[in-house]
Amino acid sequence: MATSASPFSKRFAFPKPQAATRSLAEILSKGRLAAWLARGRPSDPPSFVLGRRRIYILPTRFGLAFGGVVLAMLFASINYSASLGFALTFLLVGLGVAMLHHCHANLLGLEVSFAGASPVFAGGEARFRLRLSNPGRVPRYEIALGAEGREFGPVDVPAGESVVIAFGVPATRRGRLEAPRFSIATRHPGALFRAWTYARMDIACIVYPEPAPPGIPRPATRTERGSDTAERGDADFAGLRNALPGDPPRRIAWKAYARTDDLLLKEFAGGGDRVDVLDYDEAPGNDPERRLSVLARWCLDAATEGVSFGLRLPGQTVPVGSGESHLHRCLEALALFPAASEDRQ
Amino acid sequence: MSAVTPPVSTRARLVWSAGVVVAASLPHWSLLPAWLPALLLAAAAWRLAADRFGWRTPGRALRIVLAAAAFSGVIAEFRTINGVIAGSALLVAMVALKLVETRTHRDEVLLMIISYFLVFASLLEHQSPLVGAYLIVFVLVTTAGLVQLGRGGPLLPSARTLGVAAGLLVKAVPVMLVLFVLFPRLPGPLWALPTAPGSGATGLSDSMTPGDISHLVLSDEIAFRVEFEGEPPPLGELYWRGPVLAEFDGRTWTRGFAHRLDEPPRVEYLGAPVEYRVLLEPGTPGWTFALDMPRSWSEPGRLVMASDYQLVARTRRDRGRRLDYRVVSHTRYRTLEPPGLYERHRLTYVPEGSSPRTVALVADWKAQGLAGEALIRRALDHFTREPFRYTLRPARLGAQPVDEFLFDTREGFCEHYASALAIMLRAAGMPARVVTGYHGGERNGFGGYYVVRQSDAHAWTEVWLEDRGWVRIDPTAAIAPERIERGAASAIAGLGSAIGRVGLIRTMRHLWDTFEMRWYEVVVGYGQASQRMFLERLGFVSPSAARLLGTAAVAVAAILALLTIGHALGSRMRRVHDPVVRAFDRFVRRLRRYGIRPPAPHETPSAFAERAALALPGEAAAVRRIAAAYLAARYGPDRNGHALRRLEALVRHFRPRRPRRPAHARA
Repeated sequence: MATSASPFSKRFAFPKPQAATRSLAEILSKGRLAAWLARGRPSDPPSFVLGRRRIYILPTRFGLAFGGVVLAMLFASINYSASLGFALTFLLVGLGVAMLHHCHANLLGLEVSFAGASPVFAGGEARFRLRLSNPGRVPRYEIALGAEGREFGPVDVPAGESVVIAFGVPATRRGRLEAPRFSIATRHPGALFRAWTYARMDIACIVYPEPAPPGIPRPATRTERGSDTAERGDADFAGLRNALPGDPPRRIAWKAYARTDDLLLKEFAGGGDRVDVLDYDEAPGNDPERRLSVLARWCLDAATEGVSFGLRLPGQTVPVGSGESHLHRCLEALALFPAASEDRQ
Repeated sequence: MSAVTPPVSTRARLVWSAGVVVAASLPHWSLLPAWLPALLLAAAAWRLAADRFGWRTPGRALRIVLAAAAFSGVIAEFRTINGVIAGSALLVAMVALKLVETRTHRDEVLLMIISYFLVFASLLEHQSPLVGAYLIVFVLVTTAGLVQLGRGGPLLPSARTLGVAAGLLVKAVPVMLVLFVLFPRLPGPLWALPTAPGSGATGLSDSMTPGDISHLVLSDEIAFRVEFEGEPPPLGELYWRGPVLAEFDGRTWTRGFAHRLDEPPRVEYLGAPVEYRVLLEPGTPGWTFALDMPRSWSEPGRLVMASDYQLVARTRRDRGRRLDYRVVSHTRYRTLEPPGLYERHRLTYVPEGSSPRTVALVADWKAQGLAGEALIRRALDHFTREPFRYTLRPARLGAQPVDEFLFDTREGFCEHYASALAIMLRAAGMPARVVTGYHGGERNGFGGYYVVRQSDAHAWTEVWLEDRGWVRIDPTAAIAPERIERGAASAIAGLGSAIGRVGLIRTMRHLWDTFEMRWYEVVVGYGQASQRMFLERLGFVSPSAARLLGTAAVAVAAILALLTIGHALGSRMRRVHDPVVRAFDRFVRRLRRYGIRPPAPHETPSAFAERAALALPGEAAAVRRIAAAYLAARYGPDRNGHALRRLEALVRHFRPRRPRRPAHARA
């Protein structure tokens, strides 16, 4: 509760502002109700339509406040026998009913399909992209995703179009990260109600091992022609690849970044005739996870230097190659390396 | 895309918040001291400027000081925070402060919800048709504001939000109508609406000083409206009885002792009864008006006849309100209750030394042997024999107003004549008093009812005759008969109130007045009695409150169900508009029966066909043909709809055989 970081926490008259955006539904969703609602529901297919039976709806705190105000109006109208007061009160009741209906209809019939999840390094955030398609003729507003207590979005989905939105989950360990159950929710219109559904899809994100800090020298390699490969490597520009965490900043193509907003790394073909085979047994440390981290770092370094490299893991080898897709293949092999991770987790 | 943080107020959000709050306060402005609307406007302007120039919103200490200052301001102004107006004032002040400190999404949404309540509070004060019309616009704008400010994302274009709000309102109105009609009304105060202090009351007062110029006649305000059942009596007989003034101090008439409510006086009613309904405007301080002489009336528990035959509201609570009551009167009657000994003394009392010339004149007449009706006739003759004049701008009168009027100025209006006649009769020893009220009225051709305005206010004399009871004598009729026959308007033609009673303006005014009256009657006056009557017409005979509530709940649920069904039908019908798509959809539905999932959003028709062909190898050729025909019809040049017909034929004849698993296994 010590939210001293928030500039709003000093406010005396009202509870902390985060509370307002957290609806009753969300509070309940953390408890047993959510589990009960989700009981026995099989995973959703990669593409599905939100049907009537899976959409829940409850008033938000604003909705409860609105209800309280309408109730007060009703009592005042009775007390003063104010006919126009009754009229306004009942118009607001009707407005509440209409908003309930709109909020529910805002989700009903929405098509949800998986739109991919890019691999991430452990310690980062796995982002699961979903395509929300609106087959109807009415725009759908304010659709948000929620997972593990965080909310993403909201986005508007115009009529007949689709929008891609992602929810993120912290990727703490390497391996296959199965997407947790997530919610698709909306508060449109007026934030008085929150309609939501839970979904669980059989989708996963590959989490690469967190690369060890740079500076661990790769062991002497098999086919070596010069010692100062790194310096020589800078000589011949070979192309660009997406920058990854841990890449040396001096190699980032800042001009390209200014043009395209993509963080790209300059690759050099200087070491084209050098071949590194990165061996699990040669990585320092006794902890297998530590070794995999080091291997990930080596893979990145080798790729950055434009060195062709291969990977040798116990019971598995990745043949020598180069380029971005090769790098990802190697990192994926590290991510899914079975040895310790499965047993330990 | 990052995780959502509560959005902070942006310029556009602040403009919406401030705009809606100011709009909500608008109906209050006329009733509040000017500093409150000014405070609200200043708060709105300050908040927008603070956003523009990056000023800091006030800190906690300053906010407490401001709140305390506003609170004491309201207390100082009203001496209370109870009551509708003081409460509204406090609400406006607090909303202004809330606006100043608005910083988050949450503050803004709460402001919208409070705005609904703010405008509601004004409905307890006035409910005119204009307020009703404003209400619709206001709810539309506030709902749009709620939709806008409830958003976590960037705001929508205003026109789009208003469209969303209008869509919501269209769905809300049926619910409102059902609940408005069915929600059980309690037997509340007679007919609603407390009045604001200081409002109205330009009509009759409970005293009369004929020496001062009255401004009553110049007021065009409506006092009440009357709807007659059947033929209305002639205009000349429309004497609407109000306060009876029996006490005279030489200058001023007051009601004095005459008022007793304990037992209604006895009256012998003659002639045909006149039935009518009175819709009384608020403002007259506790008076209700009825045609001389009322016999029976609705709500006898609330209205009662005083000992001076005036119909009055029994409780203080009902005084000064908008009232709606029915009365049966007889224009011919004989009162049977003789004044008591003390009352008789008061009713013949002329203060010592007052009006000596009048007293002398009447003594002269008595000496001539005149008494009773003969003396009354002589007194009335006096007004026509001498050069008396009817005017609304009489000269001011001095210490002996009756003498000066009768012998010197000889000009005046009803009050002067009624007062002078009463004094003359008293001087002759006959119990006499002045009755105030209204006379006549203007017939509204559209509504078929009569409008009685403050300009129709009138005063006449009543005298007690042993054999006839209290008899009405209207001296104004003797001097200005047209005032009595055609009403005040014709007698004072050329004065301000005559403007607007001619031609088109008059027609428009009658139309508007008709609408206004129906509004008050049907909408504002919808209470327990009219609800019971209306529901009986709908077939509910004296339903219990529980049954009404149950019916209302069922009706609202039915509306929600209709909305849902309508939505489902609407979305289904929307899908099938292009015949090509419709034909292909039929094909897809047919394949679904064989366990083939419909095409995913990213799947092309050809890819879908390949998938289907794989699942139904026996039909592969037909499936591919249909896919090709679909592509041709949808995207190719289609002359004379040939491609469409081909597609439709292919789909119609597509009857795949169910793949037989044993056969598969053998293959």
